[in-house]
Amino acid sequence: MLNTIRPKGRVIFAYLCIPVALFVFTVFVPLIAALYYGFTDWKGGPVKNFNGIQNYVQLFHDDVFWHSFGNNLYLVVACIIGQIGIAFIIVMLINSKLVKLKGIHRTFGFFPSTISALCIGFVWKMIYDQRTGLINWYLTEVLHKYKNMKSAPIWLGGEAAPIMLVLSIPLIWQYIGYYMVIILSAVASIDTSVLESAEIDGATGFQRAIYIIFPLIKNTLLVCITLCIAGNMKAFDSIYAMTEGGPGTSSMVMALYGYNQSFKSSNLGYGSTISVGIFVLSLAVIGGSQFILNYYMTDSYDREEKKRKKIRDKEARIAMKKRMKGGA
Amino acid sequence: MQSDNGSQLMAVQDNSTGTKVKNGILGCVINVVLWLFSAMCIFPLVWMLYSSLKNKREFNASIITLPSKPTLDNYFKIFANKDANLIGAMGNSVRTTLLSVLLIVLFAFIVGYILARVNFRLNRPLYVMFLMGMLIPIHSLLVPIYIIFNRTDMANQWYTLLFPYVAFNLPVSLFLVEGYVKGIPLELEEAASIDGSAFSRTMFSIILPICKPILTTVAIINVFSCWNEFSFALVLISNNKAIATVPLALKNFTGQFTSDYPKMMAAMLITMAPVVILYFIFSKQIIKGMVAGAVKG
Repeated sequence: MLNTIRPKGRVIFAYLCIPVALFVFTVFVPLIAALYYGFTDWKGGPVKNFNGIQNYVQLFHDDVFWHSFGNNLYLVVACIIGQIGIAFIIVMLINSKLVKLKGIHRTFGFFPSTISALCIGFVWKMIYDQRTGLINWYLTEVLHKYKNMKSAPIWLGGEAAPIMLVLSIPLIWQYIGYYMVIILSAVASIDTSVLESAEIDGATGFQRAIYIIFPLIKNTLLVCITLCIAGNMKAFDSIYAMTEGGPGTSSMVMALYGYNQSFKSSNLGYGSTISVGIFVLSLAVIGGSQFILNYYMTDSYDREEKKRKKIRDKEARIAMKKRMKGGA
Repeated sequence: MQSDNGSQLMAVQDNSTGTKVKNGILGCVINVVLWLFSAMCIFPLVWMLYSSLKNKREFNASIITLPSKPTLDNYFKIFANKDANLIGAMGNSVRTTLLSVLLIVLFAFIVGYILARVNFRLNRPLYVMFLMGMLIPIHSLLVPIYIIFNRTDMANQWYTLLFPYVAFNLPVSLFLVEGYVKGIPLELEEAASIDGSAFSRTMFSIILPICKPILTTVAIINVFSCWNEFSFALVLISNNKAIATVPLALKNFTGQFTSDYPKMMAAMLITMAPVVILYFIFSKQIIKGMVAGAVKG
């Protein structure tokens, strides 16, 4: 008998109980709690009454919440275009034979994504600052567009430019390098003979990028888009650092709104309802986008290939099971 | 189009001077663009580095110039400031990060290995459960997790943050391990078993050393995510200043010194220092690890 493959149930239980218990306690228990408290008017005190679906009705009519959701979507779109688009272009440039010191570009480019989003938020708050910010300094002292810094625009005030656009720039900036590295590694795994033969056939760099590299790294781009969506649905830190959702609630995002409702107005009951809302909407956006992307980006050949792979996997699994049984 | 094709062909076939010039110009443009990009990514750090050596008045007078007489005053003041307690926060962050990463690596290895190799009744359900854990938008847990931890009196303790940090990072980490273990030939364990090695022994003294590369990756990803995490720290431990982690302390600190930018920069640089140093020493492994984690996760 092979103890390796089939240890006693007791042993497995001993190994698994702590991680699984911890995971369930931290992830699933709060989820269920959110469902429960979402039906109450709890404000953190001893008073806690059930009020049916009243919170959900309120959530449904809550303009600020839907506005926050819209802002999340805005960030998602801006970041997909900005981060992945720019990253793709930079990768194409880096891959040119004329570029030296690729490693340095990679190291420097990736650097911002290792810093906490809170820090990035604070740094950009300084860069956007009206009196002592880099952008206004540049506009005033270098381009002489304004007489002095006092008359320069207040970027984070929402009047000079759309506030969400202003806020999305730091987010985009932070992760360009991250996606750049992911795409770089995908491009590096392309068989070089494909690119060489394209070059001999006379494809320009641009043509190679669009017609050969792009389709070949499609799956990686899908992963990038998914990461982008998931990352921006949970935007919190940098917006908290830069505007805390202001001015007013114009730059509010969902997580921040839930936080404010729960801890600033201590509406824990309604905060729980918002949490459930965030949960459902985020899952819907992530799931929906996955579905659409998978459908549009896999052509018929890929689909056939997937089916075949599924069958192969199944056969392999059956074979493995047989083998295990045989061993035991 | 036609002429483009021609020049490309020439580039392949011979090195006429025209192509050389064209390539030279193109190369220049590409390199300049890339250097601009790199400079943009690194500039804020450089700006903060030298600006933190100025005092407030000098900075406000001219925000971009190098300091005329560099001083470490800001740093001394921060170290002396007992109220902000940035140094204490560094200690807290180091402890929280190290313990979390240790637990994540250990749990990810154990669970990942068992899910990959052991054929027991709960294997699939557990697999699906962790997969679901990966899909759950964790920011929807911000409020309910506060409620649960307050109810059980587990909020504002030194160990509080270990729970969310380990739980949220466990799924990705264990799937990385699981994928890796599946690539190890089964014969290895069969041989060990025939030689009389028990399950635990096989796991820890045979598989664990083989898994070292993937466990390093797991550790790297999680060091950064635990060190930088802010929102759950804000919710769960902000009532106990003594255990504040770095981002939380930074938030309190910036609340105090909103207008003193050089001092804020110094504070941020201090808190960033460990990860920045780590990053520039091990950048190659770190980039590789984080990308592997992102793509496979």
